[in-house]
Amino acid sequence: MAHFFKRVFQYLVMDTVEAAKPLTVGRRYRHFRRTLLLIMTAVTMIPLVVTSVFSYHKYKRLLEEETVKYLSWNAESADKIIDAFVEELRSVIVFITEEYSHEELASQEKLSTLFVRLKNKHSGFVDLGYIDPNGVQRAYAGPFDFRGKKYRNMSWFKETLSRGNTVSDVFLGYRNLPHFVVSISKKVPGKEEYWVLRASVDAETLEKFILTIDTKAADDLFLVNHSGVLQTSSRYYGKIQDEYPLGVLPRKSGVSLRVEESEAVSKIEAQTYIKGTPWILVLVKHGFINKKVWSLFQAELVGIVLVSALIVFVVILRTANILGERIRKADEKRENMLSEVEHTSKLASIGRLAAGVAHEINNPLAIISEKTGLVKDLLELSDDFTHKEKISQQVEGVSSAVQRCKVITHRLLGFARRMDVSLESIDINQVLREVWGFLEKEALYRGTQLELDLDAALPLVESDRGQLQQIFLNLLNNAIDAVGQEGAITVRTRLRDSENLQVEIIDNGPGMSPDIINHIFEPFFTTKTSGEKRGTGLGLSITYGLVKKLGSEILVDSVVGKGTTFTIILPLKHTMRRRKIDD
Amino acid sequence: MTEVKVLIVDDEKEFASTLAERLILRGFAASAVHCAEDALALIHAGDIPEVILLDLKMPLMDGMEALAAIKEYDPAIEVIILTGHGSGGAVGVDAKKGAAFDCIMKPVDIKELTQKINLAAAKRRQYMEQEK
Repeated sequence: MAHFFKRVFQYLVMDTVEAAKPLTVGRRYRHFRRTLLLIMTAVTMIPLVVTSVFSYHKYKRLLEEETVKYLSWNAESADKIIDAFVEELRSVIVFITEEYSHEELASQEKLSTLFVRLKNKHSGFVDLGYIDPNGVQRAYAGPFDFRGKKYRNMSWFKETLSRGNTVSDVFLGYRNLPHFVVSISKKVPGKEEYWVLRASVDAETLEKFILTIDTKAADDLFLVNHSGVLQTSSRYYGKIQDEYPLGVLPRKSGVSLRVEESEAVSKIEAQTYIKGTPWILVLVKHGFINKKVWSLFQAELVGIVLVSALIVFVVILRTANILGERIRKADEKRENMLSEVEHTSKLASIGRLAAGVAHEINNPLAIISEKTGLVKDLLELSDDFTHKEKISQQVEGVSSAVQRCKVITHRLLGFARRMDVSLESIDINQVLREVWGFLEKEALYRGTQLELDLDAALPLVESDRGQLQQIFLNLLNNAIDAVGQEGAITVRTRLRDSENLQVEIIDNGPGMSPDIINHIFEPFFTTKTSGEKRGTGLGLSITYGLVKKLGSEILVDSVVGKGTTFTIILPLKHTMRRRKIDD
Repeated sequence: MTEVKVLIVDDEKEFASTLAERLILRGFAASAVHCAEDALALIHAGDIPEVILLDLKMPLMDGMEALAAIKEYDPAIEVIILTGHGSGGAVGVDAKKGAAFDCIMKPVDIKELTQKINLAAAKRRQYMEQEK
């Protein structure tokens, strides 16, 4: 893995560093591969990243909505529970006022009995009192001694008179303990006066009840009154009778929501007004989202994106490499073909030039030849005179120089002339043996070892015997010259494939450098520049022309100091490639 | 045996005249003209050589045309092509199609040439014998 990243790093970064340098052939393909890699990665990664970011936000929104929905649903159901609780308290008091007359309730004895029975059924009630139309408590049953206490100026009393019944805020009152009051007012029969029956409930009872409906949907659940004073203790925002720091929302039916989202705090608050009470139920949820679900989602998303990115990157890297490699190979092939074509056409034009030059030189050469010939004739006919012998020698020198020139021009013309191929079925081994027989004496004289490694099972070849002889003669002559004294030459024939056979002429001579190999088929290129056998530089170029004419190939493989192998690949069936080298 | 009458047709004057001189030294009745038209004019005038040495590449009428014209006039005149243009192979074949006796590459080997002239002359003389 480390190796992979190292490679990728080199691939992306090192090349960028190199970018300042001019493009070499190798770097051109690396550059191409890198560009391809970057483009393909961008094309695949951009949609992936966009989709992921979109999903991230969409899912977050969904989770938030879910939370909000869940919270308001919880607020609604808690509202109903509290409503039912309050309604029950109220209906108990209403029942008492309807079952008993106001005289009975005004009797201290009767009220005490009634309170004992009430307490058995509903332990939440702390006390019970009858208040006459003047606002004075006439009868009282409970732990305190509140007979004769005046309530005329208390807000709950006034509200009870005006509305018939009330549930009060939580307040301290005479007893100096937090409690709330459930009260009912009734008309005194026959009079325009109202008496009131009141029962007080301990705030602790309310608190305990609220705790029973506490839910996981909220982090905090409590009651406040319409003025924003806490009616039950809050986990985070203070005790009973404290001011609720966030305040109440304006009244409306159903659940009101308050969302606060910032860097530090993220919370949602649901408030609902409880019908028939001065209370507002508040649910607070800290942190919008289910943490567990959210972090799992984040981990999954990041995991999927990373794995996809890695797979995409590896696939693209591989594809870019393969593509780059294919294109490089195709280009190489094309360049090789071009250079081969160039080479061939270069040889052809050199051939044309050579033929032209040879022809132009041939005519003056013929004149020189005739003139010297005539001089020789005349010298032979004339009597002795001063310097006759010397002049004879000079003329002989000119004659032999002309002879050398003649060899060159004739070879050149031979190289360039149009030759017809006359086809016959030929046993290549036989041709090689004949050619060898021709050279045997010279080889023997020089002490050259020859090994004929001929494949006896070779099929016949359709080709031109004379031209094949010429080819092998030239190559073997060269080999004999190359190996010098005590050298060795091997001639080997083999079937190359179903359509071609090959003849290898292998020598253990000095070999040639690549520089020389590049030029050996060009006319007038020779390495035999001195000694008794000076080359004309035409042997191999003629051979090359003949080989091409026969639809064959000639390959050279040479190692300096080890020797040279010429390989001729002959098609078994001649494809008539009538290529004219001269015109 | 009378001298063999040889006509050299070549636009290279120096070549033609020198070759003629050498042939004369070797006992031939050789003369030279420098274009095919002159050669044809001579023949038409009745000065008929036994062997014509004919250059192929000449400015106006070239060697092959001249060969055809000569053979048309008198098929018994033997023609040896002298050429600096290519060797025996293709030119030889073409020349023989045109009924030339032989084809020799320039620069010529005088021994080879005299040998061939003699052979050509012998052929013509034998032919003329039969005609009589």
